Amino acid sequence: MSSPLSPPEPPARPRFRWAQVPPLLAAAFPVALLIGIVVTLAVAGLGFGWLLNPSVNWNPSTGDPSQASFGILVFVVGSFVTALPALVLVLLLSLAIGAATALYLPRRVSLLLNGFVDLLAGIPSVVYGIWGFWIVAPVFGTTLNPWINTHLGFVPGLGGPVPSTGIGIPLAIFVLTLMALPLTAVLVRESLLAVPVAYREAGLALGATRYEVFRRILLPFARRRIGGAALLGFGRALGETVAVFMVIGDATKLPFNFFDLSFTVPGVLVGQFDSAFIQPNYLAALAQLGLVLLAFSLVINVGGRWLVGRVGRGGIAMPEAA
Amino acid sequence: MIDGSLPSDAASSGPPGLLEVEHLGVSAGSRKILDDVTLSLPDRTVSAVLGPSGCGKTTFIRCLNRMVELSPALKIVGSVRLLGRDLYDREVDPALVRRRIGMVFQRPTVFPQSIFENAAFGLRLVHADEDEVDRSVMDALKRAGLWDEVHDDLDRSALALSGGQQQRLCIARALAVKPRVLLLDEPTSSLDPHGTQRIEATVRHLKEEIAVVIVTHNVGQAARISDRVAFFHAGRVVEVGATPDILERPREALTEQFITGRFT
Amino acid sequence: MSAVPASGWADWFSPTELVRFRRRHLVDRWIGRLVPIVFLVAIVPILDLIFWISQRALPTLTWTTLTTNPTGNAGGLYGPIVGTVDLLLLGLAIAVPLGIVSGLSSAIFLPFRWGEVVRGAGDLLVGLPSVILGYFGYFALVIYFGWGASLLAGGVTLGFFMFPYIARASDQAFSSVPPDLKDAALGAGARLRQYARRVAFPIALPQILSGIFLAAAIGIGETAPLLWTALFSSYPPTTLSQPTGYLTGLIWNYYDEPLTFGTEVTLAFQAAFLLIVIVVVMNVIVRLYAERSRKKLEGLYG
Ligand SMILES: Nc1ncnc2c1ncn2[C@@H]1O[C@H](COP(=O)(O)OP(=O)(O)O)[C@@H](O)[C@H]1O
Ligand SMILES: [Mg+2]
Repeated sequence: MSSPLSPPEPPARPRFRWAQVPPLLAAAFPVALLIGIVVTLAVAGLGFGWLLNPSVNWNPSTGDPSQASFGILVFVVGSFVTALPALVLVLLLSLAIGAATALYLPRRVSLLLNGFVDLLAGIPSVVYGIWGFWIVAPVFGTTLNPWINTHLGFVPGLGGPVPSTGIGIPLAIFVLTLMALPLTAVLVRESLLAVPVAYREAGLALGATRYEVFRRILLPFARRRIGGAALLGFGRALGETVAVFMVIGDATKLPFNFFDLSFTVPGVLVGQFDSAFIQPNYLAALAQLGLVLLAFSLVINVGGRWLVGRVGRGGIAMPEAA
Repeated sequence: MIDGSLPSDAASSGPPGLLEVEHLGVSAGSRKILDDVTLSLPDRTVSAVLGPSGCGKTTFIRCLNRMVELSPALKIVGSVRLLGRDLYDREVDPALVRRRIGMVFQRPTVFPQSIFENAAFGLRLVHADEDEVDRSVMDALKRAGLWDEVHDDLDRSALALSGGQQQRLCIARALAVKPRVLLLDEPTSSLDPHGTQRIEATVRHLKEEIAVVIVTHNVGQAARISDRVAFFHAGRVVEVGATPDILERPREALTEQFITGRFT
Repeated sequence: MSAVPASGWADWFSPTELVRFRRRHLVDRWIGRLVPIVFLVAIVPILDLIFWISQRALPTLTWTTLTTNPTGNAGGLYGPIVGTVDLLLLGLAIAVPLGIVSGLSSAIFLPFRWGEVVRGAGDLLVGLPSVILGYFGYFALVIYFGWGASLLAGGVTLGFFMFPYIARASDQAFSSVPPDLKDAALGAGARLRQYARRVAFPIALPQILSGIFLAAAIGIGETAPLLWTALFSSYPPTTLSQPTGYLTGLIWNYYDEPLTFGTEVTLAFQAAFLLIVIVVVMNVIVRLYAERSRKKLEGLYG
């Protein structure tokens, strides 16, 4: 329409096209799903008002449902006494793995060894559960737990009776550590490797040893991301459901000592749902607890992701400095 | 003892340089990056390593304090001697070599700490006592020409400094451990003219006490600050001599082409 | 590493510095030797787990195990195997197209900020405890949508579970296409859509496929999202509206049965064995494949 001499038209505003709709809907889907999950749990959980209370009295199925009490302290305590020690172990192991990968091992060797760590992430939760229940529990029950009990019994919490089955808090910590390790290890490894090679070389050029480069350069540079990795690992450990349920003994009481049976928040969610089908306020209470866990998980993950930022694509970056 | 004056100093006057490089070769697989480099780098002198990009300058000065060994793919032959002592001797630890032969890189590499802690980094590695750290840091910042600008706020984050200041802080950090030789790999390539000028002034002062080896691909910079020039091309030393001789009366055609900017 | 320096260095360093150096050097050397041992924390459990589960599963694992349905306290794994495959296929049918297109949008079509929102939501979904997704599937699909506990509800829930993994892989794959190609394509007058389909998609495909494989490997091992959506059944499903068995569910249901009465626990170990084999094989394939396509991609950059 415009003659060759007329000034160029301003670029047209992008026109609406039907072809744009599916991609936009797909892009909106993660947000929609997240909102859908929150709304669904809220609808399912809030029909009877707020049911949960912060006591140790979890007693859902009395003859009269209106007399039921939904004290969640037992599960909250159980979740923290397993997830926190697991977090400490996971963080220490991840730092060691990261240091070995970034500074000490040749690339080929570290690729192979890290492959095993990544493989830990692939084992299904329920497989950890059955392995822990039948294979590892006896080792804990007959050897490890009694040994700790005998030699460190003077430490508060480590004395007292030890169940001989091996089911209980230590086994849950062990399984959680294995399950949360791969994620944290990958993130820590990548944050250490993301420290520019120039900084390691600057340290080495001042006569620092590799360990000093790790302590004084890599750690301070990667501190924030390592914190994020730890937080995400903690979220993983807090949310782990099936395997922990299978190895912790599911006792609705506060643990007597470190070796006792316990119960976790996700554990009660997965373990008692069947029993709650027929009792509406019980079901609603579980949905509320699910909402609490969801909120926790969201907060931890938002915080963790924020700290970690976006580390590059997966895989092992090439450390120049050996 | 650790003030940098080495006992054998007096004896080694004259031609045998502070650093002697003999038949140095570096190869990556079948490819030769450096080929039979023989050079003598004298004390209290600024030696410029000049040459086009990719000719092996960085590789060469990384050989002088064994940083080159951090690249596992590279194979090194020949010898580098500091005052007659072979740096690649099996008995010699690279970390000790690097404490006597410091290095500053193309881009400033300040750590996310205070200015003071940056300058003290190398000293802290050996748990030097506080007085000594204070004295050495002050001395190093002065020698690096940074003291006047930062002495009021040594506790400020080093990341707040300008690029040129950061680079001089890196020089101070290297000087604080009292090296005998300072290696600078294109220290001004990421800086503006003002920052470049300050670094050059610093380098001119440094040679009063130590030997400086500076890599540059800038003929003007070599002319301004160096006493001697080694011109590299394709991994070989084309010619080496006093700066005016090389830059004004080059004997080799390659050198002449490079300094007159007719390089292909 | 060369040895701790001998006395020949005495004139270069103060005695204290030399002593300290010797100590620092030894610390470094011992840490270098000891730290790699931590990998045993990963290697030993993996090997132990594979060994003992094989040991419990293999002696009585026969062809019949794979071809008969579980029957109370005996039988095989046929129904749950078929159910696992059905659930996975149904889940992938939802998660793959949705995930690829979602990643495409967040990486290419949307402005960066909106892309970040989409990616952030995906990361949060990945971080959700899987039991939450099980609750969601039960309340939303089984009850509110009225689908009942069924292959359909289970498959869709599993699809929702796998979706964020695939979307993330797709986003990363499209984002890692060299930006020069985009400039070149758009500069030559191509529309964004044409660039996405003709240029970016073929380059991103290998990485997307790895992501799909990985998502499937994770999805196949999930339990909690399926427990009340697919419920369980010993028989292969014949319609979308029937409850469906799956290997993880079989382990969940049978693992703590008494050992004395039947073979349930052994059957659970056999299901675990199959899962490990599948998951390990899939992981190895992804690794090799990713390594190969990474090299190809590097060729593109080089
Ligand atoms: N680790 C290495 N592996 C293989 N080739 C290398 C390595 N380091 C440097 N090179 C090659 O050696 C040559 C010289 O590099 P460099 O010393 O950095 O040159 P300059 O500093 O003069 O620009 C370049 O062609 C470079 O590609
Ligand atoms: Mg260079």
